[in-house]
Amino acid sequence: MTLSRIRNFSIVAHIDHGKSTLADRLLALTGAMDPKKAVDQVLDSMDLERERGITIKQHTVRLPYLRQDGQEYTLNLIDTPGHVDFSYEVSRSLAACEGALLIVDAAQGVEAQTLANFYLALEANLTIIPIINKIDLPQADVEGTRRQIAEILGLNPEDAIPISAKFGTGVPEVLEAIVHRIPPPPGDPAAPLKALVFDSFYDPYQGVVVYVRIFDGRARAGMPALLMSNGRVYEVQQVGVFTPEMKPVEELAAGQVGYLTAGIKRVADAKVGETITDAHRPTAASFPGYRDAKPMVFAGLYPVEDTAYQSLRDALDKLRLNDSALTFEPETSLALGFGFRSGFLGLLHMEIVQERLEREFGLTLIVTSPSVRYRVVTTGGETLEIDNPSKLPPAGAIAHLEEPYVRAAVFAPTEFMNPIYRLAQDKRGEHRALEYLGKRVHITFDFPLAEIIVDFYDRLKSISKGYASLDYDFLEFRPSELVKLDILLNGDPVDALSVIVHGDKAYDKGRALAEKLRAVIPRQLFEVAIQAAIGSRVIARETVKAIRKNVTAKCYGGDITRKRKLLEKQKEGKKRMKQVGKVEVPQEAFLSVLKS
Amino acid sequence: MIGLADLRPSQSGPALGLYLHIPFCRQRCHYCSFNTGPYRPAAMERFLTALCREIDLVGDADWAGRASIGTVFFGGGTPSLLEADEMERLLERLRKRFSLAPATEVTVECNPESLTREKAEGYRLAGVNRLSLGVQSLDAGLLVKLGRLHSPEEARHAFETARHAGFDNLSVDLMYGLPGLDLARWEETVREILAWRPEHLSAYALTLDAGSRWARSGVAGLPDEDTVTAEYWALARRAAAAGYEHYEISNYARPGFRSRHNQVYWRGEEYVGLGPGASGFLGDIRYGNVEPVERYCALLEAGTRPLGTYETLTTAQRQAERGILGLRLSDGVPPDWLAGVGPLVEAWKSLGLLEVAGGRCRLTEAGFWLSDSLFVELLPPAP
Ligand SMILES: Nc1nc2c(ncn2[C@@H]2O[C@H](COP(=O)(O)OP(=O)(O)OP(=O)(O)O)[C@@H](O)[C@H]2O)c(=O)[nH]1
Ligand SMILES: [Mg+2]
Repeated sequence: MTLSRIRNFSIVAHIDHGKSTLADRLLALTGAMDPKKAVDQVLDSMDLERERGITIKQHTVRLPYLRQDGQEYTLNLIDTPGHVDFSYEVSRSLAACEGALLIVDAAQGVEAQTLANFYLALEANLTIIPIINKIDLPQADVEGTRRQIAEILGLNPEDAIPISAKFGTGVPEVLEAIVHRIPPPPGDPAAPLKALVFDSFYDPYQGVVVYVRIFDGRARAGMPALLMSNGRVYEVQQVGVFTPEMKPVEELAAGQVGYLTAGIKRVADAKVGETITDAHRPTAASFPGYRDAKPMVFAGLYPVEDTAYQSLRDALDKLRLNDSALTFEPETSLALGFGFRSGFLGLLHMEIVQERLEREFGLTLIVTSPSVRYRVVTTGGETLEIDNPSKLPPAGAIAHLEEPYVRAAVFAPTEFMNPIYRLAQDKRGEHRALEYLGKRVHITFDFPLAEIIVDFYDRLKSISKGYASLDYDFLEFRPSELVKLDILLNGDPVDALSVIVHGDKAYDKGRALAEKLRAVIPRQLFEVAIQAAIGSRVIARETVKAIRKNVTAKCYGGDITRKRKLLEKQKEGKKRMKQVGKVEVPQEAFLSVLKS
Repeated sequence: MIGLADLRPSQSGPALGLYLHIPFCRQRCHYCSFNTGPYRPAAMERFLTALCREIDLVGDADWAGRASIGTVFFGGGTPSLLEADEMERLLERLRKRFSLAPATEVTVECNPESLTREKAEGYRLAGVNRLSLGVQSLDAGLLVKLGRLHSPEEARHAFETARHAGFDNLSVDLMYGLPGLDLARWEETVREILAWRPEHLSAYALTLDAGSRWARSGVAGLPDEDTVTAEYWALARRAAAAGYEHYEISNYARPGFRSRHNQVYWRGEEYVGLGPGASGFLGDIRYGNVEPVERYCALLEAGTRPLGTYETLTTAQRQAERGILGLRLSDGVPPDWLAGVGPLVEAWKSLGLLEVAGGRCRLTEAGFWLSDSLFVELLPPAP
């Protein structure tokens, strides 16, 4: 296939605007997928993606496209996730492409991730094809959306293609636009191999499978592949394409997108952004490399059964093979025993990891309240980073504390400005800029990350009838008046329940937390006193009364099995309890810090 | 699959218990979830024939003739719906097949309204030596609310009738934690019942078991936990003062009059269950007969034993059960049975819920009332 017949593109958009659905239509129309076998959002192949109806990982697929005039093209499509936790997936996908389909939901209009992804595509120098989706919806506003594309994104409104990904309307035009507007990939098939790794996953049989975009030269089985960042050489075992299943091919040549395997054992050995070349005939210059995905929130993961520690470590090791953004290191808690402090891109990422650990590895876990990473400047002049509140040095040793700030963009119809400002104030936001874009405003704030990881997004959605959207990125560390709030159960501090909060909010937080714990800690054989304290000062107190009665009175005519089943049911309810000192604390208690 | 041949008592065990289930009532009580249906003479007749056939089928087993029977218990349903001659017929049949000694405890559960002087005497002549009278309450309004068919006066009268018929081992069943029952009324009930001087007293806190009318419809006026707990303690105190031993969570007896049959269950001893839905425990197998009376009769009419469910206990389950059951008794269990949950035993001791004395580990009266919290910890981990 000559380069002129290849097109490489990503589909990007705000969450839920219909990327994966458009991918379905493109697969069907080009014959890559038998329509009879097709399920909705077929590329969302993980169970979790299907259940939640969202894309978590990028998905690559090669489409053979036979045009009316008999000319054959190869289109390489990359479907990307829309959720802000996974914007990292978007940027690296774009690196493998010359074009991007930027979808805008005609009923929602341009939203925060539309903008964020638009800028990512611009920075990557891609040709952008604006697409207005969901025109079948009664509340679709095609002309209004077209105006926004012109006013907000500065694109030519005439270029936007109105479609219904759901019903297929306008999708043939999208295919034609891909061929006409997106340039064919540059590159020289005769030059030394130069391939960019833009993703990878671990397969138990083949080892690491790397997603590659070939920029120059050819890759084929048997050749010695040099990983330029670390100097390691592997023999290429297989090259292939995604159809969407993995299908081996003879070779991948310049301009093409596909995968290769080379007996690489660890995903870390073939990082995203890596340059692969021919060890015998290396290319002159490597790609600049790529920043690692940085975890933003941290939480302790502990097995409910102490004996499952090793299984948890094995499971985390396996998950990390496919999830380079996941970090973990061993930690011990007085309350919870042995576990791991893990880092995540955001709360959705954390939930997904927890769900996968429990579902795919059969573990029962306690997840502690998520925390951001704080910086401690000690009186001795040292700077420490801590991601676990219980590791905070004693107050006397702290000169000052710093917390991470993000620069956040809120994008919303003008009528919601007031409630948005009120919410921002409540979340310690600092206003930076305000821009009117037609009937919408684009407001820039600086927020402490800790304030927005939890319920900010939900509240933003609810005060704006779902119309406001959010995007954010790490900005810097800033000094802040922070205090550590401890929780004591029957007088003993529970390290896993400690949180770091802003001084102004400590009282409210302490009270809310104590109340919440009273609601979730079940009654025990003795009274349980719950206290919230800052240092030695108790700021809130609640009590869980003792159980009065727990007995199966009857003998049921010798039906011991029935009696035992009643007990087994009771025991089932206790499965997620962790013994903390003498007190049994349910799993949800540790997350209640989050919800109060 | 187990075969019938596997259903046999272990060689070494003590005497067997026999439980016979009589699955009819004139009316279902509103709290009741047991296997029982409306009484019809024709259905009773068909059922008795089937029950005799079941006795014969079990009696055919090679071990049956040799097995000595320590206790016989007629439960229900309402066993006192049986006429005296029907009772005689059943006990005759049992004697033919098993070895019942004169000392064998033979109990019949009786509802006050169906116990006449004539019936009581007939039962005694047939070999019954213990009656358990379902009094439940001495509050006329409450009895109606519970769906009982007798008044407080009829209950007292039935008790006296049984005494006059010569029964020197009588038990009374009571319930507390009832909707609308206040503590004062309960204390009065207890005081009056104790004045009757029954040899034995069972008192159950109401539970809304699935399958009962109240579990379906709900019921207004249930007392709170504190009230039920106060009722438990009121009974415990008054019974002790009157010379009764609180020998099991829900059972009290004057010295020498503990229910031997129920102790078979709590001590993990073996018993044969006869009748629809009856449970049995032989060897290491717990089994239950089919529950519907119609199906039970049809199977026996076809000459088949009416087994419904069974499970073979693992060693871990047996060990868990003997602790869970044994701790229901004030006799408790040998401390080494709880060796696996040492820290828990210590915690329970420190809370005054459990004591170790005389080589036994036993729950206190406070511990009885919270016992399920301990028992769940004794269950073997789910497989
Ligand atoms: N009515 C209508 N609904 C659509 C259309 N396209 C997509 N949808 C629906 O919009 C929802 C989101 O579609 P997806 O394709 O999963 O969206 P996505 O952009 O891939 O979402 P993420 O991957 O989570 O960012 C689904 O319920 C689709 O059925 C359309 O053209 N019309
Ligand atoms: Mg998607």
